[in-house]
Amino acid sequence: MKSIIKKYLNFKNKVKRNSKIITSICILFSINSAIAGTIHVVTTTQDTKSIAEIIGGTKVELFAIATGYQNPHFVDPKPSYIIKLSNADLYVTLGLDLEAGWSPSLLTSSKNKKIQKGSDGYVDASVGVNLMQVPSSINRAEGDIHVFGNPHYWLDPLNGKIIARNICNGLEKISPENKDYFEANLKTFDAQIDAKIKVWTAAMEGFKGAKIIAYHNEWCYFENRFGLKIVDFMEPKPGIPPSPSQLVKIIKEVKENSIKVIITSPYFTTSSSDVVSKQTGSKTVVLATSVGAFDGIKNYFDLFDYNIKLLSASLK
Amino acid sequence: MKKNLLLALMLFARQLFAQTDSLNSDSLLLLQIQNDMKEAAAPPTIQQRIAASANPDISAIGDFRGYYRSYGKHNFDAALHETEFSFQSVVDPYARADFFYSVAEDEKTGEFSGEIEEGYLTTLSLPGHLQLKAGRFKEQMGRINPVHAHALPFIDMPDAYVNFFGEDGFKGDGLSLSWLLPNHSFFQELTVEATNVSEGPSFERSAGNNYLYNAHLKNFWDLTDNATLELGLSGMTGENLMKKITNIGAIDLTYKWKPIRYNTYKSVTFQNELYYSQAALDSSTVNAIGFYSLLNVQIAKRSFLAGRFDYSNNPYSAKFVQESGSLTLGFLATEFQKIEIEGKYTTMNTALAENDNQKKFVSAYLRWIFVIGSHGAHTY
Repeated sequence: MKSIIKKYLNFKNKVKRNSKIITSICILFSINSAIAGTIHVVTTTQDTKSIAEIIGGTKVELFAIATGYQNPHFVDPKPSYIIKLSNADLYVTLGLDLEAGWSPSLLTSSKNKKIQKGSDGYVDASVGVNLMQVPSSINRAEGDIHVFGNPHYWLDPLNGKIIARNICNGLEKISPENKDYFEANLKTFDAQIDAKIKVWTAAMEGFKGAKIIAYHNEWCYFENRFGLKIVDFMEPKPGIPPSPSQLVKIIKEVKENSIKVIITSPYFTTSSSDVVSKQTGSKTVVLATSVGAFDGIKNYFDLFDYNIKLLSASLK
Repeated sequence: MKKNLLLALMLFARQLFAQTDSLNSDSLLLLQIQNDMKEAAAPPTIQQRIAASANPDISAIGDFRGYYRSYGKHNFDAALHETEFSFQSVVDPYARADFFYSVAEDEKTGEFSGEIEEGYLTTLSLPGHLQLKAGRFKEQMGRINPVHAHALPFIDMPDAYVNFFGEDGFKGDGLSLSWLLPNHSFFQELTVEATNVSEGPSFERSAGNNYLYNAHLKNFWDLTDNATLELGLSGMTGENLMKKITNIGAIDLTYKWKPIRYNTYKSVTFQNELYYSQAALDSSTVNAIGFYSLLNVQIAKRSFLAGRFDYSNNPYSAKFVQESGSLTLGFLATEFQKIEIEGKYTTMNTALAENDNQKKFVSAYLRWIFVIGSHGAHTY
């Protein structure tokens, strides 16, 4: 009898131990399935990451390749990015050949069919954007000309709504069960942009037609939205560093037009702009080209808050 | 009577629908006029997208070279050394194709001859992070072998590379399978290849079924945001000129510093490759080594200065020792044009007829690379 009771107790303990193991496995599986339910999104820039963060909400996990203070034309295609791309469900590119020097080789090396061009997980954020400076012919004698038009379209906040729509469409394709969630987030984002654009436009109202000089031809969408007038560029041609003769020309233009501000980007040295500023008294202003360019620019709205505040103060 | 009433009703209904259609067409016309007016008021700078093209990316790269050597009767010359034509595109949702056709000048005869430098298909949709390459390609061995000469920061190839694999490097026809290892802490990629290799000093294209087998493990770490380290391990085995087997092991180690914010202005690359060869001959085995060490410093936005030290045996003679030091100054006008000049001093312990039996000599090179068309990006 004693041995039967002993056997029974042993059996009971074994069942208890096994049930603990089974429970643990179940918990692990549930955690794994929760992780598996997360949509892994890789964006080429911080701006699209910021917008995707709002649209995707709690359903996404994000990684942006370029930093906010990096020239998006010249990102080094480091193999470490391939790890992120190989496990991505969605890839968001700004398109228009902006990332032509590094994005295609990274995508091929990712060995991930889900995010190849033409797949559901490939999002070209430029689709539907009214493009500016589309060349009628291509001639590299004019410098770095973009075949499809100027690709710096995210610097118009209203284009942010188009980017958001494209990201939302991409998310809905790969996760149709969350369509209502993404659409609701998109609606919130659009409403926020509509509210903020009024504030930004009002802040720039007094500077409509203000003449400025830019370092590189990357501000046309911003210029168009806020009614500025870029008179000339520090670069004699896109991608060609300022030459002494160009600096002489710019100094003359700044003096003739009483230009107060030269705008440049975080990834260009200010040495040549400083020469012009010294000669003319104009200010060199480093604007943010992307989210994360400077401390405090945490999202797509901060980007315009920062630029509008800095530019309006400099133009006074 | 009933018939007449029905006819009247039908006529009335037809007239009613006709009016509705007319209202619709008026509304559409009004909408079109409004849209036309809106378009007319749009900023003139905004234009439509250009038509898409199904053509592959096509480019031509010119490599014009001049040289001086401190030996020989004809020791100074300049010529269009090589022209490379590339055609690159996605084939379909499952694969992409890359073709590189090279036309090069024979230095002795001055005649040009063309060859498919590379031509391969790469899969885009294999499961398990696998990728298959089929065709003719440069083998995944070390750092410089897979890179085309025009993209390297020096003009002449390292002595060890030339002595072991030839001036044009190590390429063959066959299959290459690469696998991205599931390592989330750092990048690891394993490539295994089986090819019928092009003729070179270490390996010969086998008349039988002795294919060349190559394996390469690439490891890559981000040390900081601005610094990276790459360690490559390669091993290959194949038939040599004596119809016996040669085994080669290679290690490459590259440190790069490139500040993210000003990555177009400053950078430093310290790159090293070492080859250890074990060649079976008729009655003996030769163990030979060769290596180079390169320091490439970006001294300004468009200028580079590269110093290199080379040491090499011959794959069939460990007693042969060749050492050299070289300095290359490069100027990149744009992404599509660069000019480089290089000076090199070489010493060797055995006089060779190809160097006019000189054991010490000086060489100088000039290279002008120019690209037209759309050329694919090179690997990091």
